[in-house]
Amino acid sequence: MHRNKKAAFFLLLPIGILMILLVFYPILVTFYNSLHEMNLIRLSEMRFVGWDNYVNVLKDRGFQDAIVNTLVILIAVTGITLTASMLEALMLQRDHKISKVLTAIAIIPWALPPMVNGIIWRFVFYPGYGLINKILYNLKWIDAPVLWASDRWTTLLIAAIIVAWRIVPFCAIVLLSNLQSIDQELYEAARVDGANKWEIFRSVTLPLLLPSMGIVMTNITIAGFNAFDELVALMGYREMGQTIMMYNYTQTFSFLNFGLGSAISYIIMLGSGVFAYFYIRQLGRSQR
Amino acid sequence: MKMKKVMALLLGASLFALSACGGTTGPAESKTESKADSAGEKKEISFMIPDWGAPTAEMLADFEKESGIKVNVEEVSWDDIRNKVSIAAGGKQAAADVVELDWSWVGEFTEAGWIAPIELDAADKKDFSAIDTFSVDGKVMGLPYSNDFRVSYYNTEMYEKAGLQEPKTWDEIGTQMKEIKEKGVAEYPFAFMTEAQEGTSTCLTWMTFLRDGKVYNEDGSFNKENVMKSLTFIDEMVKAGTINPANASGTGNVYGQITTGDAAFMTGPSSYVARIQDAEKSQVVGKAKAIVPPGSTGKATQTMALQEGVAVSAYSENKEAAETFAKWYTSQATQEKLFDTNSLIPTRVSALENLQQAGKIVDGELMLEVFDLVKNVYPNGVPAYYTEMSTAMFNAVNKMATGQLNPEQAFDEMNNKLEELRKK
Repeated sequence: MHRNKKAAFFLLLPIGILMILLVFYPILVTFYNSLHEMNLIRLSEMRFVGWDNYVNVLKDRGFQDAIVNTLVILIAVTGITLTASMLEALMLQRDHKISKVLTAIAIIPWALPPMVNGIIWRFVFYPGYGLINKILYNLKWIDAPVLWASDRWTTLLIAAIIVAWRIVPFCAIVLLSNLQSIDQELYEAARVDGANKWEIFRSVTLPLLLPSMGIVMTNITIAGFNAFDELVALMGYREMGQTIMMYNYTQTFSFLNFGLGSAISYIIMLGSGVFAYFYIRQLGRSQR
Repeated sequence: MKMKKVMALLLGASLFALSACGGTTGPAESKTESKADSAGEKKEISFMIPDWGAPTAEMLADFEKESGIKVNVEEVSWDDIRNKVSIAAGGKQAAADVVELDWSWVGEFTEAGWIAPIELDAADKKDFSAIDTFSVDGKVMGLPYSNDFRVSYYNTEMYEKAGLQEPKTWDEIGTQMKEIKEKGVAEYPFAFMTEAQEGTSTCLTWMTFLRDGKVYNEDGSFNKENVMKSLTFIDEMVKAGTINPANASGTGNVYGQITTGDAAFMTGPSSYVARIQDAEKSQVVGKAKAIVPPGSTGKATQTMALQEGVAVSAYSENKEAAETFAKWYTSQATQEKLFDTNSLIPTRVSALENLQQAGKIVDGELMLEVFDLVKNVYPNGVPAYYTEMSTAMFNAVNKMATGQLNPEQAFDEMNNKLEELRKK
């Protein structure tokens, strides 16, 4: 027993050292920086300012807007992704000759880098001669091009669609694997009991999908919270509609304000931690 | 025992990997080393530049032959250079011995101490007509290698159709743009940037500079009267529908609207003097003309240059060799070669004149005439807070163009930011 513990310790040691150096140490350094006024342009004037950076960030209108924007994207991405991935999984579950080919095709958007994804959608929603405008114009539904990304809320909705489009395939595949593992006898029993399709879905399929929902929701939250490349490709570093990640990037890498940027990172980390806590708790419950 | 050996081996390998990660500060460290060969004569330096400015291997071989300095060129995208320089400098390292220096980075790089001053004689200073933009407190901090200054362009065919003459003032432009639109000659005749990006800040700056000559007061604050004139003009043009509303949200090429024949008038980069007459890049060959930009009561008496330069890193271990290279790279002879190989417009008057006399520059006389008008926009040099100020400017103009702010509010928004930055 003692020998086994020793072996386990040595086996964990390399990854432990890596974690300390590449995860915990940067977390501590970032915290240290967040308590200092630290701008790379005036690095010699670095000084301790306590919680000032946190106070300044929380008071900043840009930050408050960015939080609202991120939450709007997160909610929209959740709604779109859950619905679309569920539909996609249910469609792919049907046993058909081309099911496997369709599954392979469906995974393509997930394999695309976010920036490429953003550029593709920029052309779709391009304000002058984009694909959507062309379709609507040819259908005679509009007389003049619609300026899709010129308004804050429309921009956020478009951003949510773009992010969702990228993550739906992965979520659908996860749900599909879960769907395929459900015992068919349960469906037969429900049918024998006189349940209709909706009742079967609500009372059999959905509860049994809960284990994979944790993975799906974690993926959705990460993607929604990290929305960055798609938005930059769509609208550049515009203040209107910027997400928390864009706000952080601008403060840290454009203005080189590493003190403030570190404080923003900490606030994001704590915010993400709250979501992570609930997901992990939920996962634990569903596994029990 | 065997297990222990395996453990030790694994541990050793992981520590080795870690030391490899931790011991290197990225490519920066190796790049800064100026090496000498066994004879101690040949020096080696690194040069970080975007692809458009990279000299040919032949040119570098010639330089090595005459100076004994070997130059390793690192082509890095323009966007990444600032990040690489700042992060390397944070660790007191040079990203490269000689680095790209955009005109808008001069104040920031100088205040941060990332670049070293360059000794330049009076004759050279005179030859670089926009050297003031690259100088801080009388010290030359960078040498410009690629020229770009504001020139105006108009579509002669559209103007003829609308029965209009070449514009001379901004008031005329305003009237003409509305007339061209009303007559149905062009839907969006005025090519002007309104999206939230750096180009929009420079558009507001040059418009104010061309018309009224003063964008900033001596203390670095905005000249409210002049900036307000420009904001009001832009707002009027947006509301009259002369500027494509898509410009505010798209990330397309606004300057290209003149070459595609969509716009009737534009003030933009000097490179378009050649571009509008190039059949491969323009649909308005023979139908568009480059002119001296309009001003307040007649043609502008000053224009703005947005040049690219090179600087010697303050953390370079061989500043002397780096400075020698920077001077060679921006010399008259090299600039003339770079025009042939990379299509870079020279920043030296002498080089531009030589090329014009050789008939190599399209519309050469006009180019020289406008180049002669280049003056410094920033009375105290480009400020260190330029990036933050510019961000506030383009966001304010963008919000105004999308109807969220009126000109007064847009001014207040950018002015409040500038005042906050000036107090720091």
